[in-house]
Order: sequence, then C-alpha cells, then structure tokens
Amino acid sequence: MVFMIDTTEKKIGEVIAEELLRNGKNAAEFELIDTAGMHISHCIGCNYCWLKTPGVCAIHDDYEPILRKMSGADQVWLVSDTHFGFVSWRTKNIVDRVMPLATMYLKIKDGQMRHVMRYDHQPDFGIIYTGDGDQAYLERWCQRTALNFGSRSLGVFSESEGKEAVLCML
Amino acid sequence: MHVVIINGSPRVQKYSNTEKIISAFTKGLSEKGVTFETYAISERKTWDDIRDAYIKNEEILIALPLYVECVPGLLLEFLETLPRKDAHTRLSFLLQSGFSEGCQLRCGEAFLEKLPEYLDVRYGGCLVKGDNFGIRVLDEEKQAQATKPYQAMGELFAEGDGFLREEAKKFTGPEYLSLPMRLMMGLVFKTLAKKMFQKVAASWGCSVPLDEKVWETSRKGL
Repeated sequence: MVFMIDTTEKKIGEVIAEELLRNGKNAAEFELIDTAGMHISHCIGCNYCWLKTPGVCAIHDDYEPILRKMSGADQVWLVSDTHFGFVSWRTKNIVDRVMPLATMYLKIKDGQMRHVMRYDHQPDFGIIYTGDGDQAYLERWCQRTALNFGSRSLGVFSESEGKEAVLCML
Repeated sequence: MHVVIINGSPRVQKYSNTEKIISAFTKGLSEKGVTFETYAISERKTWDDIRDAYIKNEEILIALPLYVECVPGLLLEFLETLPRKDAHTRLSFLLQSGFSEGCQLRCGEAFLEKLPEYLDVRYGGCLVKGDNFGIRVLDEEKQAQATKPYQAMGELFAEGDGFLREEAKKFTGPEYLSLPMRLMMGLVFKTLAKKMFQKVAASWGCSVPLDEKVWETSRKGL
C-alpha cells in the first residue's frame, strides 16, 4: 500500500495520484489524504504515548486515522511545501506525532541508540516537495527519519520530478 | 550583553527539560553580569511578544529539543512568522535530545546552521547535548545536578563568542558510544532500563505493558 499525505497549498498530491493511475497502479493500492480542513495539532511532547497510555496519543483530533494508515503502509510519501529549505510545519507536525509507533524501550542498532518499535511492520518514507527545498538536506533528513523506524528512504523529489517519484511507487 | 532566550519546546514549561536547562544556563549568564529575558513558544498567546523581542534585540538564543531529527513542528510554525533582519543580530542555538550520542543531533544541527541565512542574521553557533530525557522525572535536587554543566556554558556564552568556541563543541561529549559502552548499554536497556521505565509509567497511572500493540489487540477483538 502506498500512502500519500498532502499538506501542500496547491494540492499537488492529486497530480501525483493521476500519474499513478496513468501508470497502471490499481486505485486500491494507494491512498491520498489531503490534510486541508483537517485539524491536526503539533506534538506537545507529553510522553503519554510512551509512558501513560502506550501506543495511544493524548491528543484527540483528526490525526489518529492518518497514523494508523502510516503504520500499515509499505510506503509513506510526505507531499509538502517547503520553508527554510525544509518541509513545512504542517508536514513536520505529522511526522512529529508518529511517536505512538515507537515504544519507550531502547536498543542499540548499528552502533546507535534507537527506540524499539511497537509494531513489526515499518513503512519506508519519501518526500515530494514544492518550492525552494534544500535537496541535499531533505535527503539527509528523510534518511535519518527512516533510520529511526528501521526502514529506508524512498528518496526526495521536487514537484517537477513527480514522474520519477511515481516510478518508485509502482 | 542582553540575551533574548526563547524556549522552542512545545511541552508546557512546567515539565519542559529545555526549561530546566535554560534555568541552569541563565545562572551562568547572571554570574557574569549578563542580563536576559526568557520566552516559551509553548504559550501561543505570547508569540507577538516573542516576535517583538526578536525584532528589538540583537543577541538571540533559541533552546530546543530535537523532534524527529530536526526542529519541532510548532517551533517551525513560529519561525515562519519572523521577519528578516540584518547581520547586527546574532542567532545561537542550544539543541538537546534524549539519545546521548552526539551523532544523533547532527541532522538537526545542520538545519540550525543554515537557518540564520534564511532570516538574514548571523549564526552564533549551536550547543549540542544529548542524554536529557530523564530530567523531567528526577526530583528537584537531581534535576539541579543533571543540568549544572549548562551553567558553565552560560558563563562561556557570556564571554561573547556564542557557541563558536572549542569548549562549546567539546560539551557534546562522545559522538558515538564505545563498543564496551554499547554492549553494557544494550544489556541495561533489556533489563534495568525496562524496569525503570515501567516504574515511571506505573507512577503515571499506566497499568498495561509499555510495548502493547494497541491496534493489533483491538483488531483481534473485532
């Protein structure tokens, strides 16, 4: 399952989804969520999802269905505007709130400390961005984010490289 | 020197590890006769005041926790509201995290290194330090002990070179844990640390295993 989370003002996820269909991807094999109009708070760092209600976020807004889909997906694509060369705060809020997918428990993996993940399956992560993104930094960040999940980066693509991103989703 | 210190943590100040670190840091500033004013972005209603302070002052320090390899989303949202200034303003950072190794914070530090360019201000360096997760759950005396090293960094900052000096870079500690340390920590994580986390969780009212698979359990019940 390919899961795209679009926070862009131009809603470029729709264009990517059309391209996917043109390339023969079955509509049942991917899902696009446009977060416009959804209420998604930032993570408040309460640690309840680790220490009080393990696996459950204390904030009850429109985020939980997104997190469930991220957890079950093979690929998660963050479709984001950029600011300071980085993803927008809207996208960062979505990523910051993945904490319920990790546990408080720790381990050493490949020489570094990591959290033990709550579920056996982990999604890979990719980014499609609009605007003046810092390609090298976004690639580094995406790789590091995936490392925390024990998964891999699918790559980082500007809006104009949407077709290349689609090839990674087939 | 007068420093505007912005706590960039989304967590309420009362439980903020960053706040405790700022508190020790400012003791060091005071020791050296440096004045300061502090703000916290977790209080959204104060954002206009924080922005005003950013505009009117030239020595700015943002202290923040690492959130998924970079700046917390809430701080990003605030940063997007700041106007561009000029090179008279210097922007420094204090980046802290739970994981202890320096390598864990470098991706976040790399973003902060470039951020001043986007705001047209000067970069004053970034103090990088991990191993701060537990501060919140310590009693007051142990909190003071754990954050005391930041007082010396306040004194260093007061000397006027931001965090650009070698002493600030050394403050991070080991970039990676040594092999014997990793082997020991691996064992501790499987035994003592688990028990300690369970104890903290119990004191927070948690009665289920910390690694419970919530959704799989609920699916079984369907």
